[in-house]
Amino acid sequence: MIELVAITHAAAPPPPARLRAIPVGGLLAVVAPATEEEATAESLWRREELVEELMADCDLLPVRYGTRFADDEDAAQAVAARHATLAAALDHVRGAVEVSVRVIGAEPRATHAALSELARDAVERPVQPPQVLRGAYLVDRDMVDAFAARVAQLQAAQPGSQILCTGPWPPYSFSDRP
Amino acid sequence: MRDKVLHAPPDIDLFATEQPRLENALSRRIGADPENVERGLAQLVLTIVELLRELMERQALRRIDAGGLSDQQVERLGTTFMELDKRMEQLRAEFGLNPEDLNIDLGPLGRLL
Amino acid sequence: MSTSLAEQDVALIDLVDRLLGGGVVIAGDITLAVADVDLVHVSLRALISSVAKLEEGGLE
Repeated sequence: MIELVAITHAAAPPPPARLRAIPVGGLLAVVAPATEEEATAESLWRREELVEELMADCDLLPVRYGTRFADDEDAAQAVAARHATLAAALDHVRGAVEVSVRVIGAEPRATHAALSELARDAVERPVQPPQVLRGAYLVDRDMVDAFAARVAQLQAAQPGSQILCTGPWPPYSFSDRP
Repeated sequence: MRDKVLHAPPDIDLFATEQPRLENALSRRIGADPENVERGLAQLVLTIVELLRELMERQALRRIDAGGLSDQQVERLGTTFMELDKRMEQLRAEFGLNPEDLNIDLGPLGRLL
Repeated sequence: MSTSLAEQDVALIDLVDRLLGGGVVIAGDITLAVADVDLVHVSLRALISSVAKLEEGGLE
């Protein structure tokens, strides 16, 4: 069995060891051998590091953890079936990374608006109190520092608030838009 | 590479209280026993799919009998069901399920399939 | 390691969130669409998510 790990453009450089690239039209289905190992924090970080190593060289769409296929043909077929949407999504994230923000005690709408200004795209996820905002922002690679600086500004401007910002991440929240 | 915090708030611990343990992450998502969650869910879902597949096959056969489908359409129907069968086999294998596992016992209502 | 325990924890939370809840979803979709003979479109993903919702509701 193989595990589908990421989708990249056909013109991407060859992937790092352990990964293989299956051409599917103008895209590449990047796969790794499926392992029997349990999903632990350690194994998830290792998977993440693999994807980020790939992302250092080319733009990509990360694939949901645990997406497995019997063989290359099956994987290629599944990717081919979604070719148009995937190509469009890859285009959308080109040159950008994902940044995560979670907020407690600040005004959510204004905070989200201020951050969205620096992002190419933004999505909000459901929150559980006490968090008032949980957002994912698609940010140009060279805008990440400016984004973090804006977070610091918003934090300073709202005493008592707590704004957590993590990243850069592969664009998980922008890979599977309908 | 695991140093992911771009901006830490004054009380970062407030955000660490969502338990990062994977068992909880998984069970929160699906609301069931995390160890058996995938397999149990797959069993349920694949049984429903198998039921639908049988219904569709019967429906297709009825339409074929009733006439009005071209030879090409009939052939394509046959191929589709063959492919669906193959796909079901793969999915069952992925989740370690036998065909018998999909025949859920509904007690007084008998077996599902 | 230079990161504190809390920093590692929040990073893991954001990671798990993404790996399990984000990314491209291609998994077990069975589509029965035979050209002009329209039968039924069965999406495993839709089934799994609706079953998951049922289960969630049951435990509330």
